[in-house]
Amino acid sequence: MISLSDIPARPSAWITPPMIALALLLLAAPDLLPAIGLYQYLGIEIAIWIGFALGFNLLFGYTGLHSFGHGAYLGIGAYAFGLFQHHVAVSLWGGLLAAVLAAGIAGALVGAFLSHRRGIYYALLTIGFGQIFWFLAMKLHRVTGGEDGLLGIPRPPLTLGPWQVSLTDNRALFYFAAALLMIVVVLCWRLANSPFGRVLQAIRQNETRARFVGYEVWRFKWAVFTLSTMIAGLAGSLLAMAQQSAYPDVMSLHQSGLIVMMVLVGGGLVSFWGPVLGVVFYFVARDVLGGLTETWLLWYGLIFMAMVMLRPEGLAGMLHDLLRRSRPRQPSAAPAPATEAV
Amino acid sequence: MSKAKISRRGLLGAAGAASAVSLFAGPWQHNRVWAQGAAKPLRIGITADASGMYANSGASDKRGMMMAIAEANERGGVLGRKVEFVHIDTETTAATGSRVAERMISREQCGFLVGAVHSGVANAISQVAQKYGVIYINTNSSSPTEAGQNCHRVKFVFDGNGTNFAKAAVKSAIERFGPDWMLLTNDYVWGHDTAAATKTLLKDYGGKVMEEVLIPQGTRDFTSALLKVQQRKPGVVSAAIGGDDQKAMRQQVVQLKMGDKPAWINSQQDWDDVYGLPIETLFGVFGTTWYYRLDLPGVADFVKRYQAMYPETAMRSPGNVFYNGYMAIRELLGAIERAGTTNNIAVIKALEGHKISARDRMQHFDATIDAQTHQVQQTIYLATANKAPKEKDDIFEVLSQAKAEDVRDTDSAKLCKLEPYEQTPTFDA
Amino acid sequence: MAPLNPDGPRMIDLLPHIINGLTLGLLFALIALGFTLIVGVMEVINLAHGSLFAIGAYFALTVIAGSWFAGTPFGAWWLSLPLGLRYVLALAIGPALAGLAGMLLELCLRPTYGKPPLYGLLLTFGAALVIEELIRLVWGTGEQNLALPQAINGAFLLNGMIFSTYRFFAAGFSIAAIIAVWLFLERTSAGAVIKAGAHDSEMVRALGYDLARLRLVVFGFGAALAGLAGVVMVPIWGLRPHVGVDIVIPAFLIIVVGGVGSFWGAVIAALLVGLAIGITGAYAAAWSTMSMYLLLIAILGFRSRGLLGRKSALEH
Repeated sequence: MISLSDIPARPSAWITPPMIALALLLLAAPDLLPAIGLYQYLGIEIAIWIGFALGFNLLFGYTGLHSFGHGAYLGIGAYAFGLFQHHVAVSLWGGLLAAVLAAGIAGALVGAFLSHRRGIYYALLTIGFGQIFWFLAMKLHRVTGGEDGLLGIPRPPLTLGPWQVSLTDNRALFYFAAALLMIVVVLCWRLANSPFGRVLQAIRQNETRARFVGYEVWRFKWAVFTLSTMIAGLAGSLLAMAQQSAYPDVMSLHQSGLIVMMVLVGGGLVSFWGPVLGVVFYFVARDVLGGLTETWLLWYGLIFMAMVMLRPEGLAGMLHDLLRRSRPRQPSAAPAPATEAV
Repeated sequence: MSKAKISRRGLLGAAGAASAVSLFAGPWQHNRVWAQGAAKPLRIGITADASGMYANSGASDKRGMMMAIAEANERGGVLGRKVEFVHIDTETTAATGSRVAERMISREQCGFLVGAVHSGVANAISQVAQKYGVIYINTNSSSPTEAGQNCHRVKFVFDGNGTNFAKAAVKSAIERFGPDWMLLTNDYVWGHDTAAATKTLLKDYGGKVMEEVLIPQGTRDFTSALLKVQQRKPGVVSAAIGGDDQKAMRQQVVQLKMGDKPAWINSQQDWDDVYGLPIETLFGVFGTTWYYRLDLPGVADFVKRYQAMYPETAMRSPGNVFYNGYMAIRELLGAIERAGTTNNIAVIKALEGHKISARDRMQHFDATIDAQTHQVQQTIYLATANKAPKEKDDIFEVLSQAKAEDVRDTDSAKLCKLEPYEQTPTFDA
Repeated sequence: MAPLNPDGPRMIDLLPHIINGLTLGLLFALIALGFTLIVGVMEVINLAHGSLFAIGAYFALTVIAGSWFAGTPFGAWWLSLPLGLRYVLALAIGPALAGLAGMLLELCLRPTYGKPPLYGLLLTFGAALVIEELIRLVWGTGEQNLALPQAINGAFLLNGMIFSTYRFFAAGFSIAAIIAVWLFLERTSAGAVIKAGAHDSEMVRALGYDLARLRLVVFGFGAALAGLAGVVMVPIWGLRPHVGVDIVIPAFLIIVVGGVGSFWGAVIAALLVGLAIGITGAYAAAWSTMSMYLLLIAILGFRSRGLLGRKSALEH
């Protein structure tokens, strides 16, 4: 089985060919989506979840820390963005900053508690904290709107100096989300291939050994957890803009489990680009199959089980094998090429 | 509108093509120029829950709408156009509601959206609908906020709300069972709003709240709460507990034989939540907007049509949830006919302030679609378990009926600020 | 919402709420036992444990209501049997079928042995999703309830308070089941092998036992216990497709608080969680579901392996 450590070392590259391909795909998406029978709003959601999944995979795939409560930080970001618009000022940058900070602070506190834990205890505690945040979001309904959600969140215009663009149109919001996504992609890529990223992978392979080598392992675990929650917060703020509201649902165990499933099905354990494939696969399958059958989750669950049993390398791993066998042929179905990373 | 052009899309065979989702509908422009053509079918998006906490009620809701659509098509459609529908499951989840609404409007080309049981889902859909100017009817969510702070120009609310029911019940219950009340409140927005309405009325009529016990949503074990009720010994317990939580509570109250004393008041009892349960679980007094054995013209025929259309359904008699779904579609299509156009603003204006006769509503008194809050002001019934049923499904005994103006929710009206017409996008569906 | 009568709630007698919490705790213990057994022997966190609980309960529903044979002569004959008999049969058939489902799941788990415990966790997470969807298909989406024989379905008066008979029946049943499992593990040779397997599975293999069969049997046994808990608990917790996820969270929290793999740890933790829910139910009902998470964090804050936990492979 291939693994993330097989990633070719290209520490100096900021921009890689798959990134350019992803950027081109995002650029064309608003015209591409309707042509293949999808719609703009779905594109926004996919872009948001890809960012969330890439941040999550720094923790899950690279460091081997299994958080089953990550939806909580997505939700915190969404609420923070909305509350900032309602109570402080209608400001895009302010809201984004508030979301990243709020999710980051929550993540830093939880991370401090978690980072001395290992293995299954780590996973269990992430569930516990995730449930607490979810419960609070429902319970503090005077602040969050409870079950009904925090409603009427505006989409503030994008202001850069004298230049101002309205984001009320779904197309405009998509491009904004895509631009932020590209920043997250570059950031995660650089991080994963930096000395910091090497330590994370060392922790995954053998935490005890990493400690004996002299790394203060818990600091790294804390840092990567906090970082991934900050990215989740950023994704959450975009979600709040897309839905123009923030709901507690994304914080539930069910939804937190879904991001784990998406990342694994995509091949997050073996490829930087795995989460991208996983998110696209999940959302497109949900939209297409979900319109045809109400039991589509059954099929998704079965696919997931089969992958865990037979191909834990996920879609990215399968694609890698496919490419290795028939080098010259380019697969046409792939939403994003994963050749470089694996 | 130009006449008699063939629809750009092939007609769906029958209106009953549930989830008829054509996957490759071709490019769809966002600027609201729907393909012109008088024969183009009118598309309605049914946003009823098919899974999650309100899956059962959602199914009834949808059946009601489908029957109204089928009847409209038998009459030759609306403005000469056939009525089609698309149904996508909103999963009793707000975020899914947002997405489904976006998809229905931008990809399925639905000009109207109808359906909801859960207030969170209703809100999510109505925000998206308002953004596009698409008319949305909340059929069955009875949270007072729906026609209060969360009201919208494009949203119409067809169910009675918690305040309406409290107004119908509180005063007479104080007189009969005394001023000492205990509240069991589902700890979410609908529960709190309903309890707040009860508390205000208690204050007005000289009752007092001994204690309010907040019940987390999803509670199935009510033992703690019922122990507290025994310890506090109130004269009346007023429960604002919804859906399956309520079903569980009813069974446990019966098990402990606490159904007769204290007196129980339930804000609203959805038919779907008690259908098929043993009669003794129907203790206490509860509100409803309709019952299938009301002795009014049209009711028996309506029930017959239901039974003919749904011979396979386990629920043999229609209830209030079905009724609301049916009425919503019928009034929507009626408004389109009156407006003579599918222009959304014209249809909204045709709905606003519209009076519906008691006969058309199959209720005791006339109803109005409130122009100020968009809530249907209607007859509110109080009922209890029927000790002398005429047939198997005859489980309610209607105790009283209140006129719409006597139970009007004046507090929500103060909070509702509808968006001006000119800020609502306009288009022809 | 501030209490309108601030000193009101404090005046109430706490004892009924403590009793209520303990009875709930005993039911939690029943489901946690199978869970902890599987974790101990297999080193798999079985997130589908709640789904096996649901399967047991749903089959019991079918046995009691005879719904699959409705309209046939067999169905009519079946329903003519006394409810008490059907209930006793359900208590046997429900857990047995849950046990079989568990064995099937164990077969699916085999490719994940030797890999990090994450894979078992993920597989069972997927299985939980699949089982829930299957339940929707087979038994429908709505809330259902299990009919109980009259003998255990009433209420009784104790010290001026009405209590549900069934709750005490269920609690008594749980105590009996817990003792039976304990005796099985302590007093029988099969139990000794399972215990040894939990302690050191390689050693068990070295002694000539078939490890694959041991795992299959343990998983089946744990699943049957989950199914049994399902049949007993569902009249209190309600039955819906999602019930598996609703129950697996407390069960899972209990084995962590108790210490993964520890028998008495699970029992004690279950009682603590029950008490926490019962007592918060008396003072701040809205926070009762939250109380168990706070308990989890409080206990793990001091004892990182739970009350009676020891070091295990699950930490890698």
